[in-house]
Amino acid sequence: MMKQNFMFTSESVTDGHPDKLCDQVSDAVVDRFLQQDPFSKVIAECAVSTGILFIAARFASSASIDIPEVARRVIHQLGYEQADFNARDCTIMTSLTELPAPSYPFIDEREMSEEELESVTAKNQANVFGFACNQSPAFMPLPISLSHKLARRLTATRFQKQIPYLAPDGKTQVGVEYREGRPYRIHSITIVATQQKTAMRGLAPLHDDLNAHVIEPVFATETLRPDSRTHIFINPEGLVADGGPSLHSGLTGRKNAVDTYGEYSRHSESALSGKDPSRIDRVGAYAARYAAKNVVAAGLAQACEVHLAYSIGISRPVSVQVDTFGTGRIPDTEITARILDHFDFRPAGIIRAFNLRYQPQLFRGLFYRKLAVYGQVGRMDIGLPWESTDKAALLR
Amino acid sequence: MSLLFDQMQRPSFFGTGATEAEPPEPVRIVHAAVEGRARLKIRGLYRSESVRRKLESALPRHDAIRHASANVLTGRVLIVFDPARDLEEIKTWLEQLLLDAGHEIIPENPIDDSGSLRSSQRPGSPVISSDPNSVLPQDRKNWHALPGDTVVAALETSMEFGLSQASVERKLGHFGVNSLPETPPRSGLSIFLGQFKSLPVALLGVSAVLSAATGGLVDAAVILGVVLINAGTGYVAESQSERTINALGHVAEQNAMVIRDARLLEVPAKSLVPGDILVLTPGARVAADGRVLESRNLMVDESMLTGESLPVAKRVSPLDQPDVSLADRLNMVYMGTVVTGGSGLSVVVSTGRYTEIGTIQSLVGETRPPETPMQRQLAILGNQMVLLSLSICGAMFLIGLVRGHAWLQMLKTSISLAVAAVPEGLPTVATTTLALGIRTMNRHKVLVRRLDAVETLGAVQVICLDKTGTLTLNRMSVLALHSGGRRITVDSDVFYDAGVRIDPYQSDELLRLLHVAVLCNEVELNGEKGNYLLKGSATEGALMHLALAAGVSVEALRQRYPREQVEYRTETRSYMSTTHSAQGDGKLVAVKGNPVEVLEMCGWWLKDGARLPLTQAERTVILMENDRMAAEALRVLGFAYVEPKQADQSSADELIWLGMTGMADPLRQGMKELIALFHQAGIDTVMITGDQSGTAYAIGKELGLSGGSELDILDSTRLDQLDAEVLAGLAQKVNIFSRVSPANKLQIVQALQRGGKIAAMTGDGINDGPALKAADIGVAMGGTGTEVARSVADVILEDDNLRTMIVAVSEGRTIYNNIRKSIHFLTATNLSEIMLMLGSVGTGLGTPLTTSHLLWINLVTDIFPGLALAVEPPEPDVLQQPPRDPGEPIVGPADFKRYGLESLTMAAGSMGGYGYAMARYGGGQKASTIAFMTLTMGQLLHAYSCRSDHIGIFSHETLRSNRYLDLASGGTALLQWATVLVPGVRSLLGNTPIGPLDVAAIGAGSVLPFFLNEATKDAAFKDKRRKELLSLPPAPREYG
Repeated sequence: MMKQNFMFTSESVTDGHPDKLCDQVSDAVVDRFLQQDPFSKVIAECAVSTGILFIAARFASSASIDIPEVARRVIHQLGYEQADFNARDCTIMTSLTELPAPSYPFIDEREMSEEELESVTAKNQANVFGFACNQSPAFMPLPISLSHKLARRLTATRFQKQIPYLAPDGKTQVGVEYREGRPYRIHSITIVATQQKTAMRGLAPLHDDLNAHVIEPVFATETLRPDSRTHIFINPEGLVADGGPSLHSGLTGRKNAVDTYGEYSRHSESALSGKDPSRIDRVGAYAARYAAKNVVAAGLAQACEVHLAYSIGISRPVSVQVDTFGTGRIPDTEITARILDHFDFRPAGIIRAFNLRYQPQLFRGLFYRKLAVYGQVGRMDIGLPWESTDKAALLR
Repeated sequence: MSLLFDQMQRPSFFGTGATEAEPPEPVRIVHAAVEGRARLKIRGLYRSESVRRKLESALPRHDAIRHASANVLTGRVLIVFDPARDLEEIKTWLEQLLLDAGHEIIPENPIDDSGSLRSSQRPGSPVISSDPNSVLPQDRKNWHALPGDTVVAALETSMEFGLSQASVERKLGHFGVNSLPETPPRSGLSIFLGQFKSLPVALLGVSAVLSAATGGLVDAAVILGVVLINAGTGYVAESQSERTINALGHVAEQNAMVIRDARLLEVPAKSLVPGDILVLTPGARVAADGRVLESRNLMVDESMLTGESLPVAKRVSPLDQPDVSLADRLNMVYMGTVVTGGSGLSVVVSTGRYTEIGTIQSLVGETRPPETPMQRQLAILGNQMVLLSLSICGAMFLIGLVRGHAWLQMLKTSISLAVAAVPEGLPTVATTTLALGIRTMNRHKVLVRRLDAVETLGAVQVICLDKTGTLTLNRMSVLALHSGGRRITVDSDVFYDAGVRIDPYQSDELLRLLHVAVLCNEVELNGEKGNYLLKGSATEGALMHLALAAGVSVEALRQRYPREQVEYRTETRSYMSTTHSAQGDGKLVAVKGNPVEVLEMCGWWLKDGARLPLTQAERTVILMENDRMAAEALRVLGFAYVEPKQADQSSADELIWLGMTGMADPLRQGMKELIALFHQAGIDTVMITGDQSGTAYAIGKELGLSGGSELDILDSTRLDQLDAEVLAGLAQKVNIFSRVSPANKLQIVQALQRGGKIAAMTGDGINDGPALKAADIGVAMGGTGTEVARSVADVILEDDNLRTMIVAVSEGRTIYNNIRKSIHFLTATNLSEIMLMLGSVGTGLGTPLTTSHLLWINLVTDIFPGLALAVEPPEPDVLQQPPRDPGEPIVGPADFKRYGLESLTMAAGSMGGYGYAMARYGGGQKASTIAFMTLTMGQLLHAYSCRSDHIGIFSHETLRSNRYLDLASGGTALLQWATVLVPGVRSLLGNTPIGPLDVAAIGAGSVLPFFLNEATKDAAFKDKRRKELLSLPPAPREYG
């Protein structure tokens, strides 16, 4: 049973945050491999500290890519032009291992027979969670939804030169007060923005600019807006010069909550970025979100968490659990049964359903990398297959 | 008398006082920590021979000063005085002396200084001497503060015409040749006398005196004979080595470009004189100190003088302050530094030993190679052995006395034992082996330029390889193109599209690409049409070659579009663009460079002759193609052009994309196998390249640089900005450094060394000097390498073949091992003598060996097998072993233990023989003879045991035979048997004839220890190896 009256805060970060930078480099590498060879197997992990970016990649692919160059392009596109860290000068250490090519032939999941789909088993043990609720149009919890919106806007003001002195790194946070399980008011808004060392402004102009160009436009279209009692914190710890990897280090997969539901529901411990679609710990999370979102969209519950448990060597999840936190119109077991009737949770089935091998080609090499910021779920800007509510009618 | 001369030779004691070298007070105490010794800085002494002479004659007149010596190069005096006297008192006296004698010792006016160095050779110079009060600087250090024309005038020369031949000859007479003083080679006598200057030999001398004093004149004579024979062997070996060693480090005669008599001449660097106008071009070594008169982006690497690793930009304008350090004299160039870029003119201001480098060299004084670490270790080892044998012999003497032997007899025996046990041959063996090794390497086309490089070669743990020129042929050629959305391959100058041969003239964009490649290109075409000689960079040469192959008439094209302006690629912009004027009023801008950057500037592209807007989709395709080409180890260049309508309109957005070329520099034959050989020998390989890391990865994979594990690439354009500790940490596991510039090689080698690695580095460019110097082994290529690289390298591969490097490593390791083998033999056999004597005296069996026996052993059985072991051929698995730990002593405690055990078996064998004879003959000469024969035969056999510490007669592997050892031991054995078979020799050594049974006993006593030692060899080695392996971390394992 969900608590009725409570406070919940979630945070998001901008694309220039070092952890997110690592996620994006990892996923850009995945994109690049899949773009050239949809059947690439690749695991790319990344760490960044001061002037050095470390990339460890293991892969089996017919594609050949210049990984540091991919990373430099990401850094360049993020707008890092600081003396301490920039696309041209930063040192990139890559550790590359080529995996032996698998002995079995690649079959396109789209052309697989039922038998073949069944034969592709999970290669990793994984507990993945999908969540959806009717707190926002994207069926996402409101705190993370608002945080993402603020973070996006913060980045946009920099690129659109509304606040030209901002640096790429930034963090946002929104606290929402809940009454009777529904968002009641905005309790607090925090923005930590970094500024270019060469063009530092004071706290007051920053406060005004962020209010005018970030907070106001973001909440203009929201039903729930900050009120007079809402705490608004702008850089509560003071001004930050440059920020980014020259200030704090980053690591792939350290922002799992930002990637998912802002800790409002459970999420898997394993990272989503830097893995090709054959990794069930990545794509399973998408499938679970797909199911949960359709449950809520079908009006079967106000909030729904789907838990899939995979075991190595078995294609279907060994457990499918649905929790509607007491908001369900029908019993959770009934929802579970309907989900199992209409969703294919086998690894190959998920790849086929979401066309995951070919998305990088369709998106011109910018699919997984886009997922790496502002959430891998609840995205309304890309047209993600797992955000579609096409199965809602079937579940009703 | 000319001021010119004084500027050259005169110190600055009468100068402005602004220079840092001169103390404000006339006498300053520099160093007085040692009682009775003091170093004083004397104003005016610096570079003044006359002051030196006068000081040296005046100083000893003080009753407290016992000795004084003055140095004109430091401006200091070292005095040795009565410690009871006060130094301050002497100082005051000296100050007074200087004051009183002022004009006599330190002339106020340099023109009066008739006692100055070499002044007598110099006739008056009419031009300048007419005005002694001219404003010319009186300090040679102040050239940099003067305007260029003043300097030129002062040196009686002219920038346009240079010196005349006549004045060059005259000046050459005044100032001498422009060369640095060399240390004369050691004379034969000094080498011979040097043989007596060691502790072991001193011990022998003492023994001789003792023997003579105690009536053993014969013994004394024999001991002296030992000393002389030893010195003779040492002399022969060392004087040969000396020749080899002196030949090290010699660089061929240098030439310099000068302007003389208004003509550009190439003259020997030796003939340069002050006033010569020196022409500076890239790659040239500056041949004398000079003031820069003209600089076109002149960049000079002054690292050898100032330690600054980055090249310094030179300028012409005078400096405001005279008082600046060498590194900041931006309008001066110094002898020995290297022009790395640009060009310029300078006027020579000082030559020879008066140049800055000459000063430094004179200060250092010694140009002889210093003792190598191994030689130092051996000296210590020798001394330790002396102490050890002395104490054991002392013990034996005491035991003998207690046992009731006659003290005189005991003393003589003990002395002879000490003499026999002292390894006086050690240093000779080491020097000889090193020198022989150098000669062997020369035969393999490996020139070694430093003695210690030989032993360091054997310890090399990581080798850094330049990709270009070392691993590859440095011959670029275009292999692929991407133009108009088509992939075009080039094979033997023929263009193919999807396997179908195409004519580049059929494709507008391809033809334009070739045109741009020709226009945006600085290659010079020499020679006849159809048979051009291309002169320029490898990349541009490849492009030009491609255009010529396609049939582009380069000269006509270049005439139609004369070049107006060139913008080179810079640190921040990785493309080059040229502006050309076209027919009528038009212009053409041609751009080539990094495809990503060039593409970013393009708004259009050409396809099938039509200009189309460049959409995001096409950009993506082009960038992917770039990646693909780069990943195929091609160096990719993008091309674009624009024909602006108005002359001033050349907006970058307007550029039209033409396509990309991919070129490669083919790998040399057999490099992959060579890399595998290095890995097998436990040497890590690191490739250094300026390529993108995609290219680098492809090559690294092809070469197997990581030896099968993951390939680590460090991709950085700014290694120098990286924290040194971080880089040191990273460098330990990096296989490839990509996108680095040659200047970064220094950081790489230092990072490796910081991690405790012994690093070798290859290089042949003019920027490679500092890195080659910093590396433990700097390797230069003999043929393709620049003179600079060759002159600082430790090792030169004359045939430009990296394969010879593995030979050098093998030789280096073998030499080290061979020296160990000699030590092994000398130590073990000497210990066996001591043990035998100590054992039998201790057990009351008397003294088995007579003094003559001991001296014979020392003379005959020790020396020749020891020397022969030093020329052992390489062991078969020398390149399968990991490099030795450089911190490990040449002979460690474990080795000593093993040597001790081996000598114990030999001593036991001889004791057995002696015991048998005692039982059979009841002691006496007969028993001594048998003990003597058993021991020496055992020792000769042991020489074979010393050939390898893990391969023996019971091993599967066999060693290559060593002819010298066979000869040495065979000859020695013959002599040995002569001592019992030839009556005359027999009586000299006090031996007796022996029977067949005795021979059998001798055989058993000498062969059994040999077998025992051979049988336990493998186990001992394995035990040692196991302990080493246990200390290693477990091999990394791969998870999920």
